[in-house]
Amino acid sequence: MAEKHKAAPMVDEISDFEVLEIAVRELAIEKGLFTAEDHQLWSEYMETVGPLPAARLVAKAWLDPEFKKLAVTDGVKASLEVGINWITDMPSHFGTPSDYCNLRVMEDTPTLKHVVVCTLCSCYPRPILGQSPEWYRTPNYRRRIVRWPRQVLSEFGLTLPEEVEVRVEDSNQKSRFIVLPVRPEGTEGWSEDQLAEIVTRDCLIGVAVPKPGKTATDKRPVHPAINPVDH
Amino acid sequence: MSKTHFDREHHVKKATDVGDPQCFKGEAGPAKFKVGDRVRVRDLPSLFYSRTMVYTRGAECTIAELVYESPPAEDEAWDNCDNPEWFYSVIFHQKDLWPEYPEAYADDTLETELSERWLEAV
Repeated sequence: MAEKHKAAPMVDEISDFEVLEIAVRELAIEKGLFTAEDHQLWSEYMETVGPLPAARLVAKAWLDPEFKKLAVTDGVKASLEVGINWITDMPSHFGTPSDYCNLRVMEDTPTLKHVVVCTLCSCYPRPILGQSPEWYRTPNYRRRIVRWPRQVLSEFGLTLPEEVEVRVEDSNQKSRFIVLPVRPEGTEGWSEDQLAEIVTRDCLIGVAVPKPGKTATDKRPVHPAINPVDH
Repeated sequence: MSKTHFDREHHVKKATDVGDPQCFKGEAGPAKFKVGDRVRVRDLPSLFYSRTMVYTRGAECTIAELVYESPPAEDEAWDNCDNPEWFYSVIFHQKDLWPEYPEAYADDTLETELSERWLEAV
């Protein structure tokens, strides 16, 4: 084993907020507000929540005009059809401050493209979309998408023509947003399952548009290391 | 608020199985604005807590939807649910928020939600 490859720690410090979270959590456990087991159950549950129900909702809306009408006017009611109850299910439950129970489904058209952000911090429709990606919470994305939306979308690989209106949704009060993108060409006759596959998380946030053949389970590119570690 | 005993669970009791903001439905009284009205975002002082972004202050926008009734964030931050207000979804032209926004994209917009106290008729 070569001495020169001394492993550096993956994370060499934790942020003040992480310290705060640990302190509050341990206090709450000490005070008996919840137990360590409760906390673990919750954490594990949260990791199982993902964007599949929202993808299903979009696929249903593409196939059924009546359902689309319902989704656009009452997102909470429409969510029931994909198995998400915003009012009674975790994680929103009775409306914890970070997950209010109002879902708005924003419909794109060929001349209107929505993109969602929370400039306040990280409001995100977690019951139907799971945990937000790391970049969604960064000041970089939050500051720039409201001011230079086209440039930021280009960085995601989405360059939009002039005649398309870009509408940024700043989701910082009690509504949570998902985007209902335009159904792409080349998907005629597809089943609901096939359609749901191409509605990725990024399409639902609005930084991408669905494309036939582009799914969340695509193979990731793997490149050989230039200077492989000898072991 | 001269409550001798403050019920720390009042919100949980009210919102469980009903939802928030659904639990404040019907409490805000008549709405001051309607869809299509032109309004301006007031530049009120916001001590301690607010959700009204600085970049929206003083800018004109159009009411797109009356979304729900709720105590404004400034009150709710202190667990005060006594005065629910109407919340409006408003749409700005990017040009009105950022003077240097490119002319070529004059149609681009931004939508956000604000409570009634933050809006005044133009």
